[in-house]
Amino acid sequence: MESAALIVILVIALSLFFDFTNGFHDTANAMATPIATGALKPKVAVLLAAGLNLVGAFLSTEVSKTISHGIIREDQITPAELLPVIFAGLIGAITWNMLTWLLGLPSSSSHALFGGLIGATIVGVGFLAIDFGVVLSKVILPAVISPLTAGVIAFLATRLAYALTRRVDSRPDGRDGFRFGQIFTSSLVALAHGTNDAQKTMGVVTLALIVAGWQDPKQQTPELWVILACAFTIALGTYMGGWRIIRTLGKGLTDVKPAQGFAAEAATSATILASSAVGFALSTTQVASGSVIGSGLGRRGSKVRWGTVGRITVGWVLTLPAAGAVGAVAAVIVHFLGTWGILLDTVVAAVLIAAMFIRSNRDAVTASNAMSEVAESGRAVKVKRNPPPTRRQRAKEREEKAAKKAAEAEKKSAAKAAKGTAPKTAPTSAEPVDSNAKDGER
Amino acid sequence: MTLSIDWFAFLEVFAVALVAAVLLVGLYAIGLRLLVVAGRPPVVAPAEFTDAITVISPKAAAKAAKAAAKAAKKNPLTEGQKRLALVGAYAAFVLCGVAVVCGLGIIVWSSLSHG
Repeated sequence: MESAALIVILVIALSLFFDFTNGFHDTANAMATPIATGALKPKVAVLLAAGLNLVGAFLSTEVSKTISHGIIREDQITPAELLPVIFAGLIGAITWNMLTWLLGLPSSSSHALFGGLIGATIVGVGFLAIDFGVVLSKVILPAVISPLTAGVIAFLATRLAYALTRRVDSRPDGRDGFRFGQIFTSSLVALAHGTNDAQKTMGVVTLALIVAGWQDPKQQTPELWVILACAFTIALGTYMGGWRIIRTLGKGLTDVKPAQGFAAEAATSATILASSAVGFALSTTQVASGSVIGSGLGRRGSKVRWGTVGRITVGWVLTLPAAGAVGAVAAVIVHFLGTWGILLDTVVAAVLIAAMFIRSNRDAVTASNAMSEVAESGRAVKVKRNPPPTRRQRAKEREEKAAKKAAEAEKKSAAKAAKGTAPKTAPTSAEPVDSNAKDGER
Repeated sequence: MTLSIDWFAFLEVFAVALVAAVLLVGLYAIGLRLLVVAGRPPVVAPAEFTDAITVISPKAAAKAAKAAAKAAKKNPLTEGQKRLALVGAYAAFVLCGVAVVCGLGIIVWSSLSHG
């Protein structure tokens, strides 16, 4: 029992550490676009993101229930088996998360967590311990569908935003106002991040508490202290992660227009919030990336850079099995060595993380390692500097051309008529009138 | 082992998110359009000039403000029509805020009722 208590405490500590890295890694998801368009100063953006992540963590607990009461069949496993498995899964998730962060590979904290847990459970207990129906319907399918959903919505919203504010004459169109609106939409994204990502850690801690018998299995919502601890940890991570972004001074960001940023953020927050309400545990990074790509395509004359999209997608697809493999290795060590295995895992993970941390401090902080894939995915769409004209603009151009042609024909026929009827007086009176008309057209 | 997938939930998420995003963006864009109609096009200069902003420099922002003032002077609408447009613009912004608060309210309520 004493070793079980020790593992629960280790699991809680590791979960909170994971929560911290999650916030640290994901600040840019909410704040990359408003910083890029100049809607918010980086310092204000970071503070806002941290505060709203904290609030968001209290809004909904559906995602937490998916993890604590869905993925793993607790009834099939004894506590003595399950606790080391959760521990090994967390080790796998954290190690993979830190590794991809250091190497600058696109990945998702959430999928690293699920991958680690699933890999460790399969190896440590067996296939039957995983409820693949829940994994498929609440983790894998949302992972595939949600970036597409966000992308399509962002595309349509961007089109709508541009269409409603378009002016054919070159007078001010008021699109600058979207920059102000971005303050609110980016806040919504930070809030949505709290409702989805903080919940994942709450779910893991609740699962550990239930397995250890410290929480009634019938009580689906996490304990208040768990919610508070996870909310504050993710907010702290977001704040600390934000300082790295501030140090980049907004360098290396993609060209995002306020209307486009507003639409992308609206799509991201709507998708994440709707998913959180039904308990889909999705990757906020992937949803935000999908929105940035979709909104880029919503601009006129844009093209997809498939190479960049491919690179990002490969990173996403790799995350789940790779974190699963690391989690499985950690579970094998625990399975064969017991308590010594747990100690070995802890030491190896601590050494790895410390080494990565020291290694990362040697590098200068640049946009490439501080900004997330969201900024990167903005480069997946190529937008022309001078977009092709809209249908109305083309129609207007055609009308102008026709009017010009008609005026020229009229001028010619007038000149002809003048020549035929009054050759002496007409040229002097007609010429100045014609030249005036020509000037007017210009 | 049964694999029961609730496909309806995906459709629901897509529909709800689409309606919410379109409402939010549409209402805000209509508000901006009405502000322009009312002769008050907003000019919001970037809070900080990152290297991503290639179009608006402080000089360009000042020029835009000047153009906005000039366009406002040329506005063919009467004072009453302008006022109506302004009220419409503010109504659109308020509706936008109400939609967001309602959305968040539904999420909190559904979470509490399930929990």
